[in-house]
Amino acid sequence: MTHEPGEVIPPLERRIGLADMVAYAGATWDWYRLHYDSEFVARQKVPAPVVDGQVFGALLVEQIQDWLGPRCFVCELDFTFKSLVFAEETVRCEGTVSEAGDDFLVLSQRVVVVGADGGVDRVAAGPARARVLLGVADGPGAGLGGADGPEAR
Amino acid sequence: MTLLTEEIRALVGRRRVYTAPEELGAAACRYFGLAIGDDNPLYSDAEYARAQGLAGVTAPPTLICETNQYTGLPISPDGDGGHNWGIEIAGTRKVRGGNSYVFHRRIRPDDVVTAAWEITDAAEKTTRSGAEMLIITSRATYTDQHDELLAENEETIIFVSLEAGA
Repeated sequence: MTHEPGEVIPPLERRIGLADMVAYAGATWDWYRLHYDSEFVARQKVPAPVVDGQVFGALLVEQIQDWLGPRCFVCELDFTFKSLVFAEETVRCEGTVSEAGDDFLVLSQRVVVVGADGGVDRVAAGPARARVLLGVADGPGAGLGGADGPEAR
Repeated sequence: MTLLTEEIRALVGRRRVYTAPEELGAAACRYFGLAIGDDNPLYSDAEYARAQGLAGVTAPPTLICETNQYTGLPISPDGDGGHNWGIEIAGTRKVRGGNSYVFHRRIRPDDVVTAAWEITDAAEKTTRSGAEMLIITSRATYTDQHDELLAENEETIIFVSLEAGA
C-alpha cells in the first residue's frame, strides 16, 4: 500500500472512565491521587480526576498500529500537552501523513476531547509528530541481539 | 523575580538511575495493553507475534517510559511513587510540557530495564500574558541488561509564575 502526504489516518476514539484510569495507575504503579481520588481532586480545584497525560502517547501509538498493522515500528513520537482531560470524557486521536518515503512515514497527529456534538471541544495533546518505519515489526535495535536477543536464538 | 536561580541552574547535570529488580514480564505487557484498551495481539498472543517475525509477545511501546514500577521509591501522601526531582517553587503552578520519545526496538518480557534520568536544561521564558516561566528539561535513557539502548525520553516540566501577568 502506498501512502501520500495529506492522507488521513483513521481516527481512534476512546472514552476514558474512572475504572480505566485506575487500571492505568495499577499497570504503571502511578498512584498519584489526582488520577482517582475525588477529595484530593477537589482540593486541587479541578472538576474531576485527571487522566494521566502519558495515556495520550499510548493512544497515538495505538492509532498508528491499528492503521498500519503489525509490520510497522513507531521509532519516534513527540507530543505537547495542551489541556487536561477528565474522567469519563472521550478523546479522539486524529492525524494525517505529512511525509511519505519508501520505507517510512512522518505523521502529524493530535489528541482532542470530543464535544457533545461530536466535534472538537479542545485539544488535549498537540501538535504530535511520529516517525514510523514500514515493512518491519521491530526497530533497528532488535538486530543487535544480546544474549537473549532474536539473533542469539 | 527570576525563576532561574543559581540553585536551579545547579540542578542541570543531576542524575538518577533506577534498575528493575527483575525481568519486565509478559503479564506487565498485557496488563498495560488492557489498561489503555489496546487489544493488539502483539501484546498477548505469542504465536501471532512470532508470525510477524518477533521472538514473542512485546510491550506496548510507551510502557518503558513508565518507570514507577521499579524505582523502589516510597509512595508519598499524594500517591506519587515514581521518579521525581523534588523541585518545588513557591508561587508557581507546575504543568507538564511534553514528551519526545525515541524507540530503538520493541520491549520484550525478558528485558531487565535500567532507566537513567538526567536534568539537561533549565531555561526561563515569558508567557504571552507576561508571566515568567521556568522550563526544566530531563532526558531518560532506557537500556537492557546487556547495556543496549532500548528507548529515550525527553520531557519538559514547566513552572509558571502565579504573580501578576500570569
